[in-house]
Amino acid sequence: MFMTRQQASRGRGRSALSKVESRQALGFMSPALVGLALFTIVPVGLSIVMSLFHWPAFGDRSFAGLGNYETLFTQSPDFWPALRNSAVFTLLYVPANLVVALGLALALGPRIRGRGAFRVLFFIPVVTPIVANALVWKMLLQPQGLFNGVSMTVFGYELPNFLADQNWAMIMVVVMSVWQGMGYNMLIFSAALEQLPAPVVEAARIDGAQGVRMLRSIVLPMLSPAIFFATVMTVITALQVFAQPQLLTGGGPGNATMPLVQFIYNQGFRFQDLGLAAAAAWVLFVLIILLTAFQFRAQKRWVHYEH
Amino acid sequence: MRIPQAVSVSTAALAVLALTAACGSGGSGSSGDASSTIVWDMWAGSQSDIDALEATLEIVRTENPDLEVELQTAPWNDYFTKLTTNLSSGNMACVTSMNGQRLSGYASAFEPLTDADLETAGIDPADFTEGSLDIMSYDGDLYGIPYDVAAMMVYFNKDLLAEAGTPDPELDWTFDDFEATAQGATTDTHKGFAVGMGEFQWMALPIALSGKQPVDESGALALTDPDFEAAASWYAELVTVDEVASPAPSASDTGWGENEYAAGNAAMAVDGTWNAVSYLDNETGFAAGMTNLPSGPAGNTALVLGSGYGIAKDCEDKEAALKVLGSLVGEAAQDEIASSGRSYPARVSSQPLYFESLDESVRDDVQAAFDAAFANVEGQRSTSDWDQVNTALQPSLVSVYNDQATMADVLAQVQQQFGQ
Repeated sequence: MFMTRQQASRGRGRSALSKVESRQALGFMSPALVGLALFTIVPVGLSIVMSLFHWPAFGDRSFAGLGNYETLFTQSPDFWPALRNSAVFTLLYVPANLVVALGLALALGPRIRGRGAFRVLFFIPVVTPIVANALVWKMLLQPQGLFNGVSMTVFGYELPNFLADQNWAMIMVVVMSVWQGMGYNMLIFSAALEQLPAPVVEAARIDGAQGVRMLRSIVLPMLSPAIFFATVMTVITALQVFAQPQLLTGGGPGNATMPLVQFIYNQGFRFQDLGLAAAAAWVLFVLIILLTAFQFRAQKRWVHYEH
Repeated sequence: MRIPQAVSVSTAALAVLALTAACGSGGSGSSGDASSTIVWDMWAGSQSDIDALEATLEIVRTENPDLEVELQTAPWNDYFTKLTTNLSSGNMACVTSMNGQRLSGYASAFEPLTDADLETAGIDPADFTEGSLDIMSYDGDLYGIPYDVAAMMVYFNKDLLAEAGTPDPELDWTFDDFEATAQGATTDTHKGFAVGMGEFQWMALPIALSGKQPVDESGALALTDPDFEAAASWYAELVTVDEVASPAPSASDTGWGENEYAAGNAAMAVDGTWNAVSYLDNETGFAAGMTNLPSGPAGNTALVLGSGYGIAKDCEDKEAALKVLGSLVGEAAQDEIASSGRSYPARVSSQPLYFESLDESVRDDVQAAFDAAFANVEGQRSTSDWDQVNTALQPSLVSVYNDQATMADVLAQVQQQFGQ
């Protein structure tokens, strides 16, 4: 009896104390919580509501149900091309970025003198403002630009008008994006390469592994967590691409390089149809979530976390 | 035990207060108390633009000592995006500047001005250039008062023309003269003409040639009108067939023709009267000249364009806003704009000051060109989604100039998208 009562009172005491503590904790958390609610949760919730309304930038709003989604998939002349462009960009950009970044990281291996300086050089495009990058690339690529000038004087051959040609424009957006983004992944791969466990590498060497064999059987499997991380992040940034096509090609010619985010921007801020823009944003969100979930599923097959 | 609780509650309350205060200070638009501040929203690209606006603002403040007036600016390219954002958050400035070509898309956000309103503002419509109030009108209602009027002109580079041995274009020339000049001025190193990407930078010539606007009298989009389509195709062929102009390298080069001309890479380009002074003072250092649009078999169709100031529909202190509006387009402010050479004023009495601000060597030529450009202008017709039509057209123009699509196809496609 006594024991139980004591236990009970202690239990009561603890629960009273934990109540107070959680209230205090709430007090400490509230600035962050309010910020999160105001700047993240409310806008996200609002964007769901928006996507269900005819929501012009100004004027009367009306409930549309799934009307915006229906418009996107069945009527909007630019939505499918934008989806296609985002897919093409991602399919070209992600592998190219990873291969180039990995290649650079391997090339700037431990035996290269001044590799720190090289890494800084390759990282510079990541930190320079993208507007400046795009302007320089535009100057290189236009018919009066450097590339065509060199080609004309050296080979007498006129290059295509890269940014205005339906087929070349997307390739050039990808090339510029790879140049801009490779430094970041290179740094991740370099860091991972520096941390390859020496015993494993040494054991492989003693077993006679060299060159391609070493790369395929030892280095790549050991790097797989870094490659996985880089892939997930790069796919997400590829699907969110906006600045490069906006600045380099303006989404043109026609809509040949307009990705989904530019479509959203145009709908929302140039055509003033915020409802349609919100709906397209949710399509993009679902796409990113599904692709990321798929990658996490698939990682079991090829990512090795054990050392 | 009570103290921590009080602390936790007050922390939360403080945080909420701080955040709401932070949010509240962002919106200084139309909301305000009795002694409210009237915000004047205007585009400005550089410090010199802002300085000029500050000078106008000083005039407004002097004329309305009892009112608080504030200026808010954004560069031209961002102005309309920012305006859209302000509109969707209910923060439209009481006095908002609007470009006549874009008014149709924003008309519902502006307060229609009545005769009584004009009286409050001290504005007499008769003081303004004939037809200029049409610039700020849409669907029969007046939504603002113009501060400048503009027309499209052909600018030419006298040095390049002389180098190629081609005579300068003269006033009241024809499309045959235009073609001859463009061909004569095209050499291995530079082109005779530069095609435009902006709406009237490219449409002005097809409109002049066909005598048709891309919006018909009933207000319906008429991009596929056979005459307009033929004239637009002729325009594209200046690049693809006649090769007197270079194709635009990218759809993001929205000022292609004007930039080529300003850089001295092309002998001629079409642009508005608003850039006359900047071309005369060009940094490249060539001698610039200007003349009106050429006339064709269908006559000489030119549009009167311009910008003005309107009152936001949800402005709380409409009377104060009207007074500010009255000062902004008043004689002193218009004289200021004209004598700085920044814009050709809408107020007739201020217009001579514009020419007086120019260098004596070009003054008479410019005045003659302006007189010719503004003779027989007609109001621009617009649809409610006119801005979107141009947004959709622009990236496709690049394909046309690069011979990957025909003008007819592009016009038909946009007509189909926006024509209903």
